[in-house]
Amino acid sequence: MIRNTKNDTLIAYVLIAPFLVIYGLIFVYPTINMFILSFQDAPLISFGPQSAEWTGLDNYTRLPDDRRFGTAFWNTAYFVLLTVIPGTLVALAIALGITRLSGRIQSLVLALFFLPYILPVSVVYRIWDWTLNFQFGIAMHLFDALGIDRIPIFKTSTWFMPAVAFVTIWWTCGFSILLFLAGLRAIPVEFYEAAELDNAGRWTVFRKLTWPLLWPVTALVLTIQLILQLKIFDQVYLFTTGGRPNDNLVMVYYIYQRAFQNDDGGRAAAIAVVLFVMVIVVSVLNFQLLRLAERKT
Amino acid sequence: MTPDTTRRYNIAGGIITIITVIAALIWAFPIYWGIVSSFKLEDEVVRPYIELWPENPTLRHYWFALTQTQIGSWYLNSVVTALGVTVLTVSTSLLAGYALSQLRFPGRRPLWWLILASFMVPTQVLIINHFVLIANMGLLNTWAGIILPQLIHPVVIIVYKQFFDQVPREFREAAVMDNASEFRILTKVYIPMNWGVTTALSIVTFIWAWNAFLWPFLAVTRTEMMTITVGITQVSDAFGVYYARQLASAVLAGFPVALAYLLFQRRVTQAITLSAGIKG
Amino acid sequence: MAEIALENVSKSFGAVEVIKDISLQVGQGEFVVFLGPSGSGKSTLLRMIAGLETIDRGKLLIGGKECQNLVPGKRNVAMVFQNYALYPHMTVRDNMAFGLRNVGMKEADIAARVEDAGRILEMDALLDRRPSQLSGGQRQRVAIGRAIVKEPAAFLFDEPLSNLDAALRVRTRVELAQLHQRIAATMIYVTHDQTEAMTLADRIVILNDCRIEQIGTPMEVYTYPASRFVAGFVGNPGMNFLDADVSTSGKEASATLGDGSRVAMTISIPDDGAYELGIRPEAVHVTTGEGDTKGEATVVEHLGDRTLVYTRLGDGTSVIALDDGRSQVAPGDVVTLRFDTSQLHLFDSAGRAYHAD
Repeated sequence: MIRNTKNDTLIAYVLIAPFLVIYGLIFVYPTINMFILSFQDAPLISFGPQSAEWTGLDNYTRLPDDRRFGTAFWNTAYFVLLTVIPGTLVALAIALGITRLSGRIQSLVLALFFLPYILPVSVVYRIWDWTLNFQFGIAMHLFDALGIDRIPIFKTSTWFMPAVAFVTIWWTCGFSILLFLAGLRAIPVEFYEAAELDNAGRWTVFRKLTWPLLWPVTALVLTIQLILQLKIFDQVYLFTTGGRPNDNLVMVYYIYQRAFQNDDGGRAAAIAVVLFVMVIVVSVLNFQLLRLAERKT
Repeated sequence: MTPDTTRRYNIAGGIITIITVIAALIWAFPIYWGIVSSFKLEDEVVRPYIELWPENPTLRHYWFALTQTQIGSWYLNSVVTALGVTVLTVSTSLLAGYALSQLRFPGRRPLWWLILASFMVPTQVLIINHFVLIANMGLLNTWAGIILPQLIHPVVIIVYKQFFDQVPREFREAAVMDNASEFRILTKVYIPMNWGVTTALSIVTFIWAWNAFLWPFLAVTRTEMMTITVGITQVSDAFGVYYARQLASAVLAGFPVALAYLLFQRRVTQAITLSAGIKG
Repeated sequence: MAEIALENVSKSFGAVEVIKDISLQVGQGEFVVFLGPSGSGKSTLLRMIAGLETIDRGKLLIGGKECQNLVPGKRNVAMVFQNYALYPHMTVRDNMAFGLRNVGMKEADIAARVEDAGRILEMDALLDRRPSQLSGGQRQRVAIGRAIVKEPAAFLFDEPLSNLDAALRVRTRVELAQLHQRIAATMIYVTHDQTEAMTLADRIVILNDCRIEQIGTPMEVYTYPASRFVAGFVGNPGMNFLDADVSTSGKEASATLGDGSRVAMTISIPDDGAYELGIRPEAVHVTTGEGDTKGEATVVEHLGDRTLVYTRLGDGTSVIALDDGRSQVAPGDVVTLRFDTSQLHLFDSAGRAYHAD
């Protein structure tokens, strides 16, 4: 097309200018500063050039011996383990159930499963804090009925992470369910009709047809979940209040603790950089794996 | 297939259906339980047996939350900041997405890289420097301070770019032949043709912003400036250990997004699937 | 004076030349059809006139004004797209008014023009509907209406009928012809459908391989194809081609076909030797009397008013003959074929055409 290229360029710059200003200010600039800060000993509250001191790699070299960092790192890994694969399987099972339904019932059931996802974390916290309340929680009636001793779940270190993982799956599952449903809808119905003509049983159909055809979506859900759960903070912070935060640390929580409770911006930034690198590595690896998987199919 | 096996097949299917429906009811039960409890009297709430319906339904906890706490200000703060995030994110993303999709200009590629980079970087790691930045700008405890760091939603741009890419090029050509300026092509053709996606993206951006916890929690120290999601967890002494009161405040906090979802169910699910890169 | 003139126009996409040195004049009020197979450059040429593609070399004059460097909106031409490109969110009225509003015309004038166009196209009642509420044929008319209201120097059509079903296509074709008679505007029309070209065009421009093969009226193109390509492309069923060895004495020529039979004709060719002999099916008659050659009928297609007889000559060459509707020929019959020698063509190895007198 005959275009006025100069004019085009000018218009383009006008259109992207607001976006660039915002991203420059709240993305590029803070990201660069995060790296700089991680090489400094700088208090956060009275932050300024005069109070910051260059300390080289100190903030990083101290990490391996930092017990709280170890806790945070392994708790995060534990949490990822507890949520990613179980959450994906639960979502898949639910999606397979929903996709059989039709019409009003389907949208109603989907809404029931999806509703938790759109609630704010603090509401989720209130609901489950109440449901699992040691004294009055309705779930404790279940414990009683099953003959299990009641436990103050969020005050017990062994139960804390699994319980938060459970609540997290309940909270975020709706997202994965939607993706699985979209994936299931994309499978042409002719495949199933052909399989039926071939007398394939329900399990065979799932294993030989649904599962392989759904694999790209499954991989996508796993990736998104993995990256999302690495960044966990809100639930852990809320459920641990009044409990034992130092046992339940996760990476973002530790960044928060170092920066805002210990007023140690430099060391907090170093932890942030570590998490940053973890997320990038996982993203890139996943991206490559997804591409590999796509090429295979 | 003999009639007998067909029937067996249907029975198995029926059982799965029933299990799914029951599972859905159990799944959503905690929400129901939270809501029901908020309508009970405080001493009914702590009864040692299960009551699925309040004996004496009461609105007193809601009345308390609305009159005795700052929940009104929190609502206002949430509405203003969530709307601010939505309007700013959607409008800037729309313009940038259009430029990326429809215009050729030097720097297009680096811009694309910037967007992909911001896609990868978790905003949680930037909290320290966001805090420093917002503090230096003097914006702690202000609406602007809550809004600004929440404007990183590259997925909105990516979805817009996809949708603009999908508009058949003849529409653009017809408009060009009709003497339409770039501005008119954008406002009279591309934006109206994509109202659906704008609505969907706006609703989910609003929900995301309403639900944001970490940043609003850090950016605000004065209780009257808190958003409702932060407020209801931070000022527990305002409620004491009155479970029903806490639940009533939670219901108030969750109500707007739940309503938004129930009203725009199709749009919300569309936007969510789009945000994951799947065509809805 | 020509309304639209192309002078030595060329264009490349990267290293690939897609339009090779084309010159063409379109007169005021003329209906010109660009006909060619896909990839022949016909759509590109149209889009170059519209301004949707750049012109690398050469000149484009519209109404005597040089336009090759103008943006599309300034060329005073209107285009009807294959998929119509009607804005789905605007009513028919707004679709038509859009271009006029863009140039700041007064609303009253716009309304008058839209009403006029609505009357011309007999769709006054549809003006407040959305495109999604219209049938395919109605959308087509709106697309034309959007062009009419601009009162352009020329209308450009890019395969406008190809999205319609067969019956509607025929009807719309007739309507287009009537519209052209009524508004007497210059029109350039791109198609790969030779029936559309034959029925609509004042002149056909046949494009092949990025250049013009022939420009002429439909009958000229059909009767005197300028090249082997045109001869083969125009006409359905296509022209028969037979290898022939031609020897001449003066204007009298004798062609020896592959099966050894001889055909005599009057023609002027530069040299004796190997040619391709071309003849349309309607010039090949099945006869019980004297003939030029014999063939075995392989397939017989009864079309009602006429019958197509597919034959194979002694050397295996296929020839299609046209017989009348009540043909008695059956597959397997050996039939005598008589050529109407005044309708013979010879093509040399370069594809150049010579026509028998």
